[in-house]
Amino acid sequence: MTTIREEMWKFKGILFNFAISDLKIRYRNSILGIFWSLIEPLLILGVLFVVFSTMFKFEIPNFPIYLLVGIVCYNFFKNGTTFALNSLTNRSALMTQIYFPRAIPPISSGITAALILILEIVVLAFFIVIFQFAPPITILLLPLVLGLLFVLVIGISLPLSVLNVKYKDTEFLWQVIVSAGFFLTPIFYQFDMMPAQVQNVLQFSPMVQIVTMAHHVVLYGTLPTINSILFAVGSISVITTVGYLIFRKYQAKVVEEMW
Amino acid sequence: MPEYAVSVKHVSKKFKLYHEKRDTIFEAATSFFQKKLHSEILQALDDISFDVKRGEIFGIVGPNGGGKSTLLRIISKIYAPDSGSVDVKGTIIPILALGLGFHPELTAITNIYQSSILLGFPKHEISKRVDDIIKFAELEKFADTKVKNFSNGMQMRLAFATSVLVDPDILIVDEVLAVGDIRFQKKCAETILSFKKRGKAVIFVSHGMDVIQEFADRAMFLNNGKAEKIGSPADAIAAYGDFCRARDKLDDSSNK
Repeated sequence: MTTIREEMWKFKGILFNFAISDLKIRYRNSILGIFWSLIEPLLILGVLFVVFSTMFKFEIPNFPIYLLVGIVCYNFFKNGTTFALNSLTNRSALMTQIYFPRAIPPISSGITAALILILEIVVLAFFIVIFQFAPPITILLLPLVLGLLFVLVIGISLPLSVLNVKYKDTEFLWQVIVSAGFFLTPIFYQFDMMPAQVQNVLQFSPMVQIVTMAHHVVLYGTLPTINSILFAVGSISVITTVGYLIFRKYQAKVVEEMW
Repeated sequence: MPEYAVSVKHVSKKFKLYHEKRDTIFEAATSFFQKKLHSEILQALDDISFDVKRGEIFGIVGPNGGGKSTLLRIISKIYAPDSGSVDVKGTIIPILALGLGFHPELTAITNIYQSSILLGFPKHEISKRVDDIIKFAELEKFADTKVKNFSNGMQMRLAFATSVLVDPDILIVDEVLAVGDIRFQKKCAETILSFKKRGKAVIFVSHGMDVIQEFADRAMFLNNGKAEKIGSPADAIAAYGDFCRARDKLDDSSNK
């Protein structure tokens, strides 16, 4: 365990190098370039806003901000984990020729997603100004919530990246989970609108807790509940530990599966 | 300081080969559950041991599929051996195929940085040498061109120039220098000899027996994952020659 961590420290410079070159490669040959990462959440926001404020008439105060906070968090989760899925296979030319720690590509794809997240937070700030919403002081705790989310993203990215080299099914399965997760997370509804039994199950979802905590600190000016913190930290610790163990088991032989 | 630069001890490596041949639709449908029936074990390396001293050029010869590339990958840490160990004293750069894992969408300069940082060389050291690398590779006009627009020869030149100018203690070269033109091949040969003079170790694979004879201090004949012969270049080449003649004879008799 220590050896992997020591190696990562030695190679920390390359993490950002990879993250930035991934970003460049992602938007090559596109006219709008990195602005796509702003346009995409805005479009989702527009659609959800129209559907749920006119057709379903959900009465959530500050609904646009509520929506955007959820979308920004969920996008980070989605981007980080889906970039990681192919992070190793995309670098197979490099990995079959040079040895470097296998954890670098999945972690640097988490950093790529974090760079996009920063842009999306700028959009969020912009909307907060437009809707003349006065954010509470607790909004300063948002980076802590996002930090916890980053741990979750890495904890899922590590096993996804190695499993997807051997079993391509991982990618298809994960895309289903991410799509379903969007609807099972309180992004365009409030968690207590769910039936109690469903709530009992979904409270174990780290994304449910993280989005709820983000709503608390950005919108309501309240600290996250002890319950939220316990469920979030608990589920994320379990996921990250299991993820790390899976990663450690497969990482040594992962290059042999690449051709 | 130990005497050897690379010490390979009892290294073995197996690969599982999957056979994709399916005769019936039923077989194809059930193959998912029966994958094990369709695989066999290939002993890629079988108990290989040798040392390479500092200041020594070590050649490896053998037929395709004999285990040469697998061995180089294990020395370079890209593959993990099933058993045995590899001890490497100092920095090591493997040139195993075209390029050093260059990314086609990045420029020559960016690739020089990416590959050499990954190989463990500090960024400020590379900054000092990047102009020399481009010059050695004779790619002055293409420094900011994406590598996808390079020819095979140009990629190889860039890889070789990067490898030698970041100055590793051990250089590993797989049969790749053949793609350069005669002038560049000569430059490579001179560089490899200067590595030797400066007390660095070089391990190289070649199908050119004259190259092995001329440059290698010692050589190994690797066949079916076994080190059939380790000794002077002449001995290794002779062992390889005997093997080739025996194989040709076998082919001839089976053709009749």
